[in-house]
Amino acid sequence: MNTLIKTNKLCKTFSNGGTMQHVLKNIDMEIYKGDFTIIMGASGAGKSTLLYALSGMDKPSLGEIYFTALDEKGDEKLTNITKMTTDELAFFRRKNCGFVFQQVYLVDSMSLLDNLMVAGLLTNKNKKEVAQRAKEILKSVDIEESLWNKFPTQISGGEAQRVGIARALISSPRLIFADEPTGALNSKTGKDVLDALTAFNEGGQSIVMVTHDITSARRGNRVLYVKDGEIAGECNLGKYVHGDKERHQKLSDFLTGMGW
Amino acid sequence: MEKTILLAKSNFRKNRGTSIGLFFLMLMAAMLVGVSLLIFLDAYPTAAKEAKRLDAGDGYLWIGEELQGIDDEFIEDLLGADTERYEAGRCLGYSNVSLPFGNGNVVPGLVVYDSRAFETKMNRTEIITEDTSITEGYIYLPYQFFTSGGYDLGDVYTFELLGKKYSFDVRGFINTTYFGCNNAGNYEFVIDDESYEKLYERDGDTAETIIVSFDLKEDVNPGSFRIRVGNDVLSRNPGAIALAALLPDTLSSKTFLSLILAASFLTMTIIIVVVIVLMLSNSIANYIRENMKTIGALKAIGYTGRVIIGSLFALFVFMACVGSLVGAGLSYTLMPVMVKIIVGQMGVPYTVSFNPVCSIIPVIFVVAFTFFVTFLAAGKIRKIHPIVALREGVENHNFRRNHIRLDRSVLGLNISLALKSLFTNMKQNTITFFVTGLLMFVCVVALLMYENFSRNPKLGILTFEICGGVVAFDYETKEDALKYLEDREDASNIRRMIQLNINYNNEDRLVTYIFDDVSKMNNKEVCYKGRLPEYDNEIAVSGTFAKQYGYDIGDEVRFDYGEKNSSYLITGLVQTCNNFGKEAVMSEKAAEQLIDFEYIPGYFWFDCDDAKTSQKILDEATEKYGDHVVSAMNFFDTLEGNMTTFKDISTLMLVLLCSISAVVIMLILYLLIKAFIYNKRRDYGIYKAIGYTSGSLVLQTALSFMPSIVLAAVVFAFGSYYAANPYMSMIMRSFGLMKCNFDIPVPGVVMIAIGLVLIAFAFALVQSSKVRKIEAYRMLICE
Repeated sequence: MNTLIKTNKLCKTFSNGGTMQHVLKNIDMEIYKGDFTIIMGASGAGKSTLLYALSGMDKPSLGEIYFTALDEKGDEKLTNITKMTTDELAFFRRKNCGFVFQQVYLVDSMSLLDNLMVAGLLTNKNKKEVAQRAKEILKSVDIEESLWNKFPTQISGGEAQRVGIARALISSPRLIFADEPTGALNSKTGKDVLDALTAFNEGGQSIVMVTHDITSARRGNRVLYVKDGEIAGECNLGKYVHGDKERHQKLSDFLTGMGW
Repeated sequence: MEKTILLAKSNFRKNRGTSIGLFFLMLMAAMLVGVSLLIFLDAYPTAAKEAKRLDAGDGYLWIGEELQGIDDEFIEDLLGADTERYEAGRCLGYSNVSLPFGNGNVVPGLVVYDSRAFETKMNRTEIITEDTSITEGYIYLPYQFFTSGGYDLGDVYTFELLGKKYSFDVRGFINTTYFGCNNAGNYEFVIDDESYEKLYERDGDTAETIIVSFDLKEDVNPGSFRIRVGNDVLSRNPGAIALAALLPDTLSSKTFLSLILAASFLTMTIIIVVVIVLMLSNSIANYIRENMKTIGALKAIGYTGRVIIGSLFALFVFMACVGSLVGAGLSYTLMPVMVKIIVGQMGVPYTVSFNPVCSIIPVIFVVAFTFFVTFLAAGKIRKIHPIVALREGVENHNFRRNHIRLDRSVLGLNISLALKSLFTNMKQNTITFFVTGLLMFVCVVALLMYENFSRNPKLGILTFEICGGVVAFDYETKEDALKYLEDREDASNIRRMIQLNINYNNEDRLVTYIFDDVSKMNNKEVCYKGRLPEYDNEIAVSGTFAKQYGYDIGDEVRFDYGEKNSSYLITGLVQTCNNFGKEAVMSEKAAEQLIDFEYIPGYFWFDCDDAKTSQKILDEATEKYGDHVVSAMNFFDTLEGNMTTFKDISTLMLVLLCSISAVVIMLILYLLIKAFIYNKRRDYGIYKAIGYTSGSLVLQTALSFMPSIVLAAVVFAFGSYYAANPYMSMIMRSFGLMKCNFDIPVPGVVMIAIGLVLIAFAFALVQSSKVRKIEAYRMLICE
């Protein structure tokens, strides 16, 4: 089964002072295993709303979302997550989803290592194994050992975001949802974060990333463009190759065509 | 001004829950302060006000037993020089009469009047309530019989006088200054004229008594006067007895028992109010911290610090005004419960009425405190730069210690995370620790009072000596009666004990318990320092007396009785809450230097198994010796009667204080957890996003408050167990109890500790469950 997520007439409506605002309109889409899917769109187009709906963080107003989740035996099973209760969604997320946020959202009162442990221990009760994996992942995102027991307020924004990625990976989720992960970073630290995500994708990790930054979007192999609450277009870029100018041009043309 | 009100309204809307929590804290503080003030400033002075209204004078003199030679002329000689005015009247007087009261009996002195009681000018007797349809065979009882004795209009009241039973219909209840309260030692009954005539015919020879009310001249020392008139009456007729009582002593007797309990209530109220004001200051400071971002935004758009502070003042001071006004108002609804106890003890009618001082002080107290705390907490706002406020007051990074490392912790995940929260919220947990601890102490003291005044009365402290019963025989039969009692198998430890007043330096008197053998005393605990007297030159005096006149163990002190005097060595200090702490104990051999015991009745105290056995012994002794029995007292029944109001008050205090403690702890947890969730909402969003269930977050939050509560419950349970008696000693020292050793039931303390922890945990779970309502996505985008 290559499809990770499939939506059916996905809608999201907000009530704003009695006025109904349709942010997502009858979206039918699929996310594929192993892809680095980019969701782009103008501000207010509904891309973050779509991301959080797909991950089960926010409930859609109408429609269904099917997720190829792993059951208790570890077998793949297509599951309608829109019918899950809040607690079922929490269990679903801990096994299947990892999150990388623009504002990082590490727990300030915990050390970097504990920020990973607190997520990892949800799926694996063996503290030694979780600690071992946390240290490996921290190393893989270039966080020095001397920083592991520091607190989030004691490190730079780029380091914090890489720790955020590490936390997203600690439970080996089926899919990572990244919401503008470089939005609050400068170009150098942003590049480090994207390199880390690219490296994990190359290792087989599925990623869905929302961005409005064309440089970040180039890292994906598939770009979905959201406009007025609908998927207005899709562009397949193929495998990421650093410095591929043709890829850059293809994406620019696609975005221009979408009215970017 | 409009801007200020607008901002104040906005603050209230944004923080409705916290505002309501603060409102209730303010309300409770005002209510408790209001109740305490009403008790002390309104209810207690009632006894004195009533005495003044009934023109009770400065005291009364009871002259009884033998009245030969004591006529109007003698009384004029006795009192004329030292008094401004006096009024003498004759009635029937009885000492140590066993009267049904409550669930048992009381054994006071009794004066019986006919309708002349209502005609005196001084020391009036006033009818409080009556049923005029009852026209014959009736009795007016002191008001205390209505408030705590369990009698109502129309009931039949049966009692025994000198071996004969009398039954009367209760026609009314009376207000009388000196003879209306058991604690003051005497009761007054007014019966219909016809019945009085019959009673006079029967008992007039032995029971006719003169009661003289008097007003002393300003330069007369009341203590010396009391001793002088006693001696003068004895000189005139050695067979007479003369007891002078002074108004302050009577008022003190009427109020001191409730005063002990009310003082404890007040002290505990103060502790609770301290807890409340601590929380109030913390909550207001927290409230301002929570709203720092809004403050920054307002400053950024041009609001001055003064307007912002003004809006906070407007909100808090308004809340304090309304909360304290409602609280002060509610104190009047709680008062009837307290009044029932106080009136029950005083035997004086009192109804709660509006008292401006008691209503205004709680309001001023709460408003002033709120104003002061807001001023201190809000002062920071003026100095804070808008951008710092927008960053919610964070000026520097906070470098913390990682107390619980998840990779090394051996505890479960939820407990580890709860402990992490505990360490990162040390201030809140410290507050919770001390608040829970102080409330624990309050509850343990309430338990102590319940245990020792209600469940298992601590007789050693409440009475001087403990026994099964007392039977007194006239001097002619006392030797034979002693043999009779000693031969009985159901009575043991027969000892002769009489209570006499000996005088000190013509200025004070000590109620002295004189034993044939002091070592036979059951209540040896009465001696809290040194030892009880053994030899004929020894005495143990009360700590209150020793302190007042500067004596200590080993000192010699001279006492007088009538014409005789003798010096004694103080061997020990005794404690008592009766007779204003002025009591002593000595042996008969020692007392013989002052008193000739030959013609004094023999009061025999005996031990037995239960009330039934005691009654059997008393009945059989009375049957055998008839009129030779001077008095008989079933100690078990008397205790039951005397303890009736104590039981009510201590049970009520336990329930009231435990309930208040539970409410306070819930309010505090409400405010702390609410602030905690608000401050940690982003972290909750993160936890939820990464897959934590609401249930585990609720549990973590509730658990994070538990270590401080559990620790406080354990530490203060131990602490209170050991500190409660010294605390009670501190309160009761002024009443004569120098070293309290009340029983504190360990299971009760454990139950309170467990109860507080369970209530706190249950409420923490309920309050933490608010985490459930917030979705992860909303929590994250709330930034």
